[in-house]
Amino acid sequence: MKYRIIHKTEYVYDEPASLCYNEARLAPRSLSLPMFEQICLNWRITVDPPYNDYRERTDFFGNNCLYFTVPETHEEMIITATSEVQIDPVWDKDHTVPRADLLEREAKRSPAWEVVRNQLQTDLFTDSVQARQFVMNSPLVVVTPEIAAYAAPSFDRGRPLLEAVYDLMQRIYFEFDFVSGVTTIATPLAEVIEKRRGVCQDFAHLMVACLRAKGLAARYVSGYIETLPPPGEEKLEGADASHAWCSVFVPGPGWIDFDPTNNLIPKDQHIVLGWGRDFSDVTPLKGVFFSHGKHKLQVEVDVTRVQP
Amino acid sequence: MTTATLNTLLNGYNAESGTYDEMWLAANDVQPHWKPYIQALEKLGADELERCRQEAHRQLRENGVTYNVHSDTDNQPRVWPLDVVPLIIDYQDWQVIEAGLKQRAELLNLILNDIYGPRNLIKSGQLPMELIYSHEGFLRQCDGIQIPGKHQLLVYAADLARGPDRRMWVLSDRTQAPSGAGYALENRTVMNRVLGGLFKENKIARLSNFFQELQGALADLAPQQWAPSPRVVVLTPGPYNETYFEHTYLASYLGYPLVQGDDLTVREGNLALKSLDGLQPVDVVLRRVDDLFCDPLELREDSQLGVAGLLEATRRGNVAIANPLGSSVLENPGLMPFLPGLARSILKEDLILPSAATWWCGQPNERDYVVNHLDELVIKKLSRQPHTRTLFGAQLSRKEKEMLINQIKGQPHLYVGQEQVSFSTTPSLVDDHLEARHAVVRCFLVARKNNYTVMPGGLTRSAPRRGDYMVSNQAGGISKDTWVLTSESQKYTSLWIQPQRLERAFKASYHLPSRAAENLYWVGRYAERAEATARLLRVILTYVNSGELFGEANTVEAKTLPYLLRALTQVTMTYPGFVGKGSRARLTKPIDELRSVTLDSQRVGSLLSNVKAMLRAAYTVRDLWSTDTWRVINDLETPWPSNEELKKVGMPIIQNNLNRLVTTLMAFAGLNSESMTHEAGWLLLDTGRRLERALLTIALIRATLGVRCQEPVCNMLLDSILRTTENVITYRRRYRSYLQIQTVLDLLLIDPTNPRSLIYQLDRLQRHIEKMPRDKAFYRLGEEERLILEATTRLRLSDPAVLTQTDGSSLLLKNLDSFMAYLTDQLSQLSNVITQHYFTHTQVPHQSLSAILPELPPETDEDIKLEVGSKE
Repeated sequence: MKYRIIHKTEYVYDEPASLCYNEARLAPRSLSLPMFEQICLNWRITVDPPYNDYRERTDFFGNNCLYFTVPETHEEMIITATSEVQIDPVWDKDHTVPRADLLEREAKRSPAWEVVRNQLQTDLFTDSVQARQFVMNSPLVVVTPEIAAYAAPSFDRGRPLLEAVYDLMQRIYFEFDFVSGVTTIATPLAEVIEKRRGVCQDFAHLMVACLRAKGLAARYVSGYIETLPPPGEEKLEGADASHAWCSVFVPGPGWIDFDPTNNLIPKDQHIVLGWGRDFSDVTPLKGVFFSHGKHKLQVEVDVTRVQP
Repeated sequence: MTTATLNTLLNGYNAESGTYDEMWLAANDVQPHWKPYIQALEKLGADELERCRQEAHRQLRENGVTYNVHSDTDNQPRVWPLDVVPLIIDYQDWQVIEAGLKQRAELLNLILNDIYGPRNLIKSGQLPMELIYSHEGFLRQCDGIQIPGKHQLLVYAADLARGPDRRMWVLSDRTQAPSGAGYALENRTVMNRVLGGLFKENKIARLSNFFQELQGALADLAPQQWAPSPRVVVLTPGPYNETYFEHTYLASYLGYPLVQGDDLTVREGNLALKSLDGLQPVDVVLRRVDDLFCDPLELREDSQLGVAGLLEATRRGNVAIANPLGSSVLENPGLMPFLPGLARSILKEDLILPSAATWWCGQPNERDYVVNHLDELVIKKLSRQPHTRTLFGAQLSRKEKEMLINQIKGQPHLYVGQEQVSFSTTPSLVDDHLEARHAVVRCFLVARKNNYTVMPGGLTRSAPRRGDYMVSNQAGGISKDTWVLTSESQKYTSLWIQPQRLERAFKASYHLPSRAAENLYWVGRYAERAEATARLLRVILTYVNSGELFGEANTVEAKTLPYLLRALTQVTMTYPGFVGKGSRARLTKPIDELRSVTLDSQRVGSLLSNVKAMLRAAYTVRDLWSTDTWRVINDLETPWPSNEELKKVGMPIIQNNLNRLVTTLMAFAGLNSESMTHEAGWLLLDTGRRLERALLTIALIRATLGVRCQEPVCNMLLDSILRTTENVITYRRRYRSYLQIQTVLDLLLIDPTNPRSLIYQLDRLQRHIEKMPRDKAFYRLGEEERLILEATTRLRLSDPAVLTQTDGSSLLLKNLDSFMAYLTDQLSQLSNVITQHYFTHTQVPHQSLSAILPELPPETDEDIKLEVGSKE
């Protein structure tokens, strides 16, 4: 599947802003995961007014990270990131079914979650050692007794890992309301748990937290999801959204993604920008500007299939 | 020396059994290396010793050597406490310490290199991943960033204490921005002055070489080694920081500008100082800001102390920060148990200085040990938390212990248990004799070329009470000089002898930060405002004090006073006061209002509010004042009688305070013009002063002479103005006792030889403005040049006779009043223009909002308002 993504961010300032420094994680990374592969074919970023200083680097987690500054005094700034990615599901042995579709069925054949947890702790393979950094608390994901209690029912003793994780994803999907606009980035997980509602970012954080509460390695994934219009209607421009989900580490196969907001295993409709311990590691766009006043933000995302 | 002579000082010396004492040997005998010093103290005698102690305190207070205690409600910095009895370390002993510190620094440096480089120690399992990755100082953003040279750990400090077995132990490591080296130097300086005589007989290692090495090391960091001179700045969090004094002290001792985050800016990946002469490149930052606060873009977003883009500038190698951002990862007590093994595997050596025995709970056995031995241990978190106390297991209640154990079991990798080191005692002067107090010494190292240099000495801190182990300043600890005895006499070295590269450095590289310039400007303005207010109050009080006149409304004094009181309100802008609502009552009973305008420091415009504002501004540019000047500034802190006291004894006694204040402010003004180079800083200071004096003179003239009044009152007013502006003597000499408004205006407005005349202020302003840095493009005048030229010219052309003409119908001297109004307006504009051109700190940084994900709910939700955007 090939997609074109246009991610447009518009800042409008009450008072003119002079200098503006930005850091963006808006360029998709290329990757190969147990359930799908992604190649970033090309991408570019345009800024209006134009930037004068621009650098690309790879961050600690291997994500593409862009730095740019806008020196000119401006009252609004539009950042448009455009990218094209090729995403292919990984197929089963017979090349008939995407492995992601088999996961639910095959989950019961995975090792018990305690085995995985112990293996993770003692394993000396590099990828396991690397994965262990995703077991610990991070700035936005701090495990509390409430979170541990919420996770517990999915993790009966000896339950196969993937079955437990699948169950956790389903519970979050069914037990939490998706309510746009009720949370901010600063919304603590405790509130999400208490009110049983949030947005995809909160659900991703919650699932990551639950997995970490059980001593498993889980990371936060930032990206997009392709949405389809209701039957018979045309898709509206800017109707898509940034998205977030989570990924769990299984020694051996590696990282397997779960999307608790949509209750599914990503295979070819999820476009990955990058990942980290939580949102704070992969904020798509952040900046510091110099001005007297406040500002407003508007974001539009278009994910279009370039070829079926 | 006989034991008898030691008796007085050592009488009842209370060395604890089971604890090593630095001085005590046996009953009435001391360690050989202490003998000469103790003998010398004995010779001084108790009285003289007490005098030395007081003298040291006085010097520290007058030099403004302070530290800030967070719990202090009034936020007043405290005088740095110094015990005149030093800690003395003999040469053999020191050699072991020195070697041990160098080894530890090298080891920590290699670990730091690895953590932000290949991370082989983690991959190989020599360092547990959790130990490093869960530490708050492990900054993933800093991965792969390196400063030039072999050492990433440029400056290092360690707290040492001696155990019962006489060995020195390392209690903790300071690796990001160690404080204390400046205080150590100041301690030595004061000790030298106070007990200089004793030094001659002792061969004490000098400290200055360490600072020379530090300068050299910082110069070597400059990324662009071809540049004519390395441009170094000292980055401070500002005057509210605990050790702000030290920042100012080091900056001025080393000769670098002291800057705060908003003095710096990143442009196209380069760091620049916003100075009076525009943006100046910066090569090296010696930082005293914690690393998390250094860059709001990539690190802590809410930090107002950092510079957006700083990390990117270091990533590109355009600027080097010492110590590099991320180096606080080594301030991790959990590292300690791993150091002996790492020393053997990396350095192939045994660790010379042991660390306090430490158990990292990230390992199961160690965790169980800690949980089972809570009573014997100190429990610490991996990352140092500000404002939290160390937990002594033995002091916890059962419930607290249970909670702690639960916390440890929940996140074991975040905790360590550490043995309570029973460290040695050292003599402290208490009243007139010596007592044993536990002490910790902080040692400092700097990396230069291939080696670390250890400061031969350090900052010793001793506990305030017997048996106490808490030595921090916050806990009331007392500092000591630390003497390392050497085998040979020390050569005198000072910072003036510079390696070649630095010699060329100095003159060219000092640029005054704009913020400092702004503060100097306000020091000038507030000093002048305080002085003028004090002078006017003084004159008014002579009327008030001159006795019973309140009963007699018909005396000339009684008739003049209201004019002066109204002028006071107008000049100080403390409305309504004697002018606005309720003024009638206040005019008949002015004492309460006068007291308030004098003493109420919360009231804007009052005398003390101006003094306070001046002190605040002066403190933020602490590094720019000479020692003598600072002593005078300190004098201004002398307390005034409280409002309550004054109510009892009456206003008159305030005259003495006013006199003293005026004298001190005059001394300050004198020092400004005589002991500051007349460069940018002075230029701004004096500009503020002249502008304020001009504005206040105008205000005074307007308030008192703008309105016609009867002759006896008029004469008395003129006399008061002359006294307020310190012109009485001059006037009498020139015009005898013939008082006339025109001649008074001559003297006050247009006499160019009178340093208190308006034209004198404007002339000075004009000259200052010419010298201020600006783009002198074309032949056009700058806005500020135009303003001052016009004002000066019109003032020159003015004629007091014309100004005081009246048509007889109006009480107002219209010409005078409108001319004064014109000048006020012109000067206010000038002040605005200067502020805009030279002090550009009006804009504050903001964080961009980040989008909440997703901006739109998923497909299932029908109730969506769609934003339609345009496509390319």
